[in-house]
Amino acid sequence: MNASASGMSPRGSISIREVTKIYDPDGAKVLAVDNCSMEIEAGEFCVLVGPSGCGKTTLLNAIAGFHGITTGEIWLDGELLCSGARTPSPGADRIVVFQNGALFPWFTVLENVTFGPVVQGGMSKAEAHDRARTMLGQMGLMGIENNYPSEISSGMRRRVEIARAMMNDPRVLLLDEPFRAMDALTKTVVHQFLLDVYDKSRKTVFFITHDLEEAIFLGSKVYIMTTRPARIKKVLDVDIPRPRDFRALSSATYLRLKQECIEAVHEEALKAFKAGEREMA
Amino acid sequence: MATATATIQGVNWIRLRKKVLSRTTCRGIVSLVGFVVLWEICVRLNVPIIGNVPAPSSVLDALGKQLVSPAYWLSWRDSMIRILTGFVAAQIVGIPIGLMLGVNRMARDTIYPIFEIMRPIPPLAWVPASVIFWPTPELSMIFVTFLGAFFTVVLNIVGGAKSIDIRYIRAAHSLGSTRRDIFWRIMLPATMPSIVVGMTVGMGVTWAVVVAAEMIASQSGLGYLTWRSYVAGEYPVIIIGMLSIGVAGYLSSAGIRVLAGRLTPWLKVR
Ligand SMILES: Nc1ncnc2c1ncn2[C@@H]1O[C@H](COP(=O)(O)OP(=O)(O)OP(=O)(O)O)[C@@H](O)[C@H]1O
Ligand SMILES: [Mg+2]
Repeated sequence: MNASASGMSPRGSISIREVTKIYDPDGAKVLAVDNCSMEIEAGEFCVLVGPSGCGKTTLLNAIAGFHGITTGEIWLDGELLCSGARTPSPGADRIVVFQNGALFPWFTVLENVTFGPVVQGGMSKAEAHDRARTMLGQMGLMGIENNYPSEISSGMRRRVEIARAMMNDPRVLLLDEPFRAMDALTKTVVHQFLLDVYDKSRKTVFFITHDLEEAIFLGSKVYIMTTRPARIKKVLDVDIPRPRDFRALSSATYLRLKQECIEAVHEEALKAFKAGEREMA
Repeated sequence: MATATATIQGVNWIRLRKKVLSRTTCRGIVSLVGFVVLWEICVRLNVPIIGNVPAPSSVLDALGKQLVSPAYWLSWRDSMIRILTGFVAAQIVGIPIGLMLGVNRMARDTIYPIFEIMRPIPPLAWVPASVIFWPTPELSMIFVTFLGAFFTVVLNIVGGAKSIDIRYIRAAHSLGSTRRDIFWRIMLPATMPSIVVGMTVGMGVTWAVVVAAEMIASQSGLGYLTWRSYVAGEYPVIIIGMLSIGVAGYLSSAGIRVLAGRLTPWLKVR
């Protein structure tokens, strides 16, 4: 919103260059990501879909700085984040919203949302609280500041977690299947929420999901991954205009893209299934 | 959300009234009274075995005398001091050690084996040794009490600290935490529930240990009161000693529960 929108420099472009990740290189040698390259523009809503276990989380964790990669390079705005030789470190410019949620249960909503600014020491506690209240208000999340995460609904928790990320004005939002296992109704609410946040901030979003409809509804580009080891199989440009709402779900473009997506994913799923059978045999 | 807090308060009041007058409470009272009456009757009728136990009436008689006797309250005081000193010391020493073992792999690898060997030794087996090692019997008893809670506390915390979800640590790193922040804002609160469990269990162990230790090695306290009454043949006082220990244990557990609510407020609500 502030620095990013004032146009000092485009923030949040990610360049993934020929990244390979092998888990346990001395032992089992699990090739999770194989020579994968992606160019994500600043402000792009990028969605990754792919079969289970294909290496999506592995890629996201490398961008987040939770673990290194075996070869290749990942760049953020022209800075080298990590390479085969360089172990990355996490930072508040790339915030992750986790698969099962990671709001700290022992902090209230307000304490969670202000956690970043408070530990980074850039803001006084009072200032952080003020900003957090304003932000929660703008996001339609008022009245729950003093509740613990266990006291609010799962949809609410997800939104608070996104708010916590946005408090740090990150360059990239990394979301790893954040809405998995939510009921359809809650999903529509959190989808709209994320779309609003995106429209207002135009942060780069790196979003992982299994749900093709979600992928097309939210994303600007959908990257379909191959079965493990992960590589890009196909990229779809989603040219549905923004701001989007549920009406987009019945547009012709949406239905065409969905069809395309299903075909590509089906092929991979079948391959994964056969590979599984082969391993069993 | 305002409604949620309102109901929480509302429920508390209604619940309180319901609890006092509830069917469960009535049944409890009836059963207790029945038990005491039955006990009295059995003693009067001289039923085998039960007939040897002092009757409630004579216990009540003795209780009247005990309640006004300073010696009785001194027993309470001495036992409580031992419990509190041993218990608090166990927390002060045990919590940091537990956290260190839980967080630091190397510390765990080097120190844990010692724990594994010491842990199965029942605290009471330490009594003779500690009487020899420590200059006064009082210190030796406190030490044994300390041991009773110490292992429980440490083992619980190690378990809790080892099982902290990596997501919390990663999230905290992402949000810009230093190692200090990770310790104080993540590790410590994340293990707090295990610390509380350690305290609750530890308090139970502590009473068991102190009572037995007093019977063996002391001239005061509720355990000693019970044992002395046996030796002196004042049978009703044995029962009073036992009941007092029960009440004291209950009060300590209630205290721990209050403390637990303060330490882990996020678990209380739901
Ligand atoms: N720490 C690890 N050590 C060894 N193998 C691992 C490790 N983490 C993941 N893997 C393996 O690497 C592969 C890719 O895992 P990853 O979690 O990136 O997949 P994913 O695409 O996120 O799957 P899902 O859709 O199920 O979340 C999987 O086969 C997994 O078993
Ligand atoms: Mg995953």
